[in-house]
Amino acid sequence: MSLDLLMQNILNPAVMMFFLGLFAAILKSPLDIPQPLPKLFSLYLLIAIGFHGGYELAKSGITGDVLKVLLLAMLMAILVPIYAFFILRIKFDVYNAAAIAATYGSISAVTFITASNFLNTLGVNYGGYMVAAMTLMESPAIVIGLILVSFFAVKSLNDDLNGNTSRFNLKEVLNESLLNPSVYILLGTLIIGFVTGEKGWKAVEPLFGNLFKGMLAFFLLDMGIVAGKRLVEIKKVGTFLIGFAVLLPVFNALVAIGLAKIFGLSKGDALMFTVLCASASYIAVPAAMRMSIPEANPSLYVTPALAITFPFNISFGIPLYYTVINNIWG
Amino acid sequence: MEKAKKVEIVIDSIHLNHLLEKLQKVGVSGYSVFKDVIGMGERGMMAGDELTDVFKNSYIFTLCDEETANKVVEAIRPILKKYGGICTVSDVLWVK
Repeated sequence: MSLDLLMQNILNPAVMMFFLGLFAAILKSPLDIPQPLPKLFSLYLLIAIGFHGGYELAKSGITGDVLKVLLLAMLMAILVPIYAFFILRIKFDVYNAAAIAATYGSISAVTFITASNFLNTLGVNYGGYMVAAMTLMESPAIVIGLILVSFFAVKSLNDDLNGNTSRFNLKEVLNESLLNPSVYILLGTLIIGFVTGEKGWKAVEPLFGNLFKGMLAFFLLDMGIVAGKRLVEIKKVGTFLIGFAVLLPVFNALVAIGLAKIFGLSKGDALMFTVLCASASYIAVPAAMRMSIPEANPSLYVTPALAITFPFNISFGIPLYYTVINNIWG
Repeated sequence: MEKAKKVEIVIDSIHLNHLLEKLQKVGVSGYSVFKDVIGMGERGMMAGDELTDVFKNSYIFTLCDEETANKVVEAIRPILKKYGGICTVSDVLWVK
């Protein structure tokens, strides 16, 4: 990886704001972002990325190449939690292994957005359909995680709320998988962006386009604070999980790069697909896991994703993956 | 003043709606909720600073007669058993 590329990524204001927040928490500065604001920033970023993706999709149209990317995204969203589960079973029980696997099988929208920012800086384009791929990759891991538990858990520790031993409350699972706020807002704004096209995008661009980088920087400041607070729990998760939180994303990235090359994705699309496969969810999946697999310890699935994988990806991962892609694509 | 039962519940915010549905089903006609409750318990620190509600509690209290309080306890016991949380019932005087 070229040092220039790494420095260019780290010296990006948004990434530096993340580390500003991270060090604030580590140094115990009382810096705090009032609670409703991070949720607003998070919604803003999802709306902006969804809307812009829909607009780009309207420009490019839904072609065979788009469907190919979407199928690849689905494939990885199903495969990653399955092999992650078996790796995690070396050290963890079924419940924790399934919950961590689901976390790593899903994606991080903010990592995707940071990668999009990185490509913009380099002047490399990617297709708007990658946002659709991101939306598709959010949920399958939740369902796979629950299927893994129902297959491998010998006996549920607790009866479910209806008094039977069934793991699945279908309504609850579908609700969490398909209607969780990030999937709902991403899909909704993608459709709005697609339907309203250029006219629609121009109407909202002053808010969702021009202010984007500043809002991302503000949001990452809060993410840094939250990740820094989680860092104190690192000792509790153990060296196996710390190693897993770095090595699995890199392994997923290599698989994704291989698939992207075989299926002829462009350089920009390949990086975004790789980042999706290498990232872990710390918003949608933990909420679903807390509800569906209460036996699993949330510290084990939130801390590695938020305090290790996310900082690794936005600082070293993105330029590293891009360097590999650049060398292979030429 | 009238004798009544005060039921207090602390539960993961993520299960709040489900719990409130149970309360309404057993005939609780009113309740108050404090969202974003932080604290420490058997599931560790609930710092309340996460982007999800995974590490955040909610506090619910309601006043009712003894019969309804018993129904509430039976209705929410499986939730507490499965997801954790606490529930206390105490005698209070309700100013009317």
